[in-house]
Amino acid sequence: MKKYLVISTATDLVRVAPEKIVYISSDGNYSTLVLANDETRVLTLQLGQVERLIESQLGKEGNTFIRIGRSHIINRSYIYYINVSRQKLVLSDNDRFSHMLNPSKEALGQLKELLERDLR
Amino acid sequence: MRDDEIRILGDSPKSPSGKPGGTKWLLALVIVIFTMLFLIALSEYKQQNVDEGRLAYFERYVEHAEVPKERRTPFGRVVDDHVGGFCEIKDTIINDIPLKLYIPHNADMTLHIGRIPQEDESVIYVAQAADVRADNGGIVGAFVLNGKPLAWGLSKRGYCASINGEISIGVAENTHLFEQATEEGGYFFRQYPLVDNGRLVENEPKGKSVRRAICNRIGEIFMVETYMPESFHDFSQALVDLGVDNAVYLVGSSAHGWAINEDGERHEWGKMNIYRGRRGMPKNTSYIVWRKRL
Repeated sequence: MKKYLVISTATDLVRVAPEKIVYISSDGNYSTLVLANDETRVLTLQLGQVERLIESQLGKEGNTFIRIGRSHIINRSYIYYINVSRQKLVLSDNDRFSHMLNPSKEALGQLKELLERDLR
Repeated sequence: MRDDEIRILGDSPKSPSGKPGGTKWLLALVIVIFTMLFLIALSEYKQQNVDEGRLAYFERYVEHAEVPKERRTPFGRVVDDHVGGFCEIKDTIINDIPLKLYIPHNADMTLHIGRIPQEDESVIYVAQAADVRADNGGIVGAFVLNGKPLAWGLSKRGYCASINGEISIGVAENTHLFEQATEEGGYFFRQYPLVDNGRLVENEPKGKSVRRAICNRIGEIFMVETYMPESFHDFSQALVDLGVDNAVYLVGSSAHGWAINEDGERHEWGKMNIYRGRRGMPKNTSYIVWRKRL
């Protein structure tokens, strides 16, 4: 059965297919979900809480997501460009959207290594 | 998690509940429950047969539990009176609108005109109250400061009064609270009404901005602030859906203010230095100020 990430609060519920999530960014007590159709949705959850939801609901399939530093959880399927020295990470489907993030150089270096390792 | 780390999600080992042995226990539990239910049903059946044999028929009276009309509970937690005043800060989302709630505890509200020193440790919440006229710097709408009336206009029908520690928020063209505030050393100001007895009040100004309000919900007074720019209509609707009974607007957008939480941390908003340089602060800029009782 297809798995969905379901985020429910007292008043509303968000249900989204994991592949539609491009990245999730942290903003203090809030997190912002950025979707492949360019829609954004603010959640009253800290990024750590979203991370736990992904792990508990998606299980192993959650490994498509990578937490990068304190501020982002990204969908590795959309990684298009990494430049460690210029601190650039571009998430794109090479068609409709392109989002640039600026994680730390150390985190980007590790991400680059991880993707290279996956090739071997 | 540090900024120089990455972590692949979903790679952690499964929780103990995911172990195959858990299924066995669950099955055993289900069998025990079914056996108990069967035994209870059997004993009921036997008892019924005995009762019928006695030819005693009574219609069972089922007392319907009264559904309480008031299911709402306060947002703020219960705080002992001897605890020093502070502002409980909560985040929520209503109709996709992220809101911040500022709930004062062990504090009283007054009004103030002019800049408030940030060093004043008795202050736990400050936000701009009445609007100031752009042409002559006068206060928009009736205004009473510590019993002294400073303005008498009625351009906005919403009002907020603080008299002898009691806060009233409502909508009316005329209210005795203005006179009462002048007679009893109270405070009174007018602003846009947002919610009147649980019903949305429409307002003229269009456009979107960070919105703020002071609200009464089942007697609990708190302030609300939007996280993002919102229209008056959407803000009022969010307050209605939050269960607010009455609410009036507080100056939004970049108006400066702050709140002090239980740990003494300052949460600040707006721009403090907007009135520096050539642009002086209007002399009648007014604030609602919550101060610690202790």
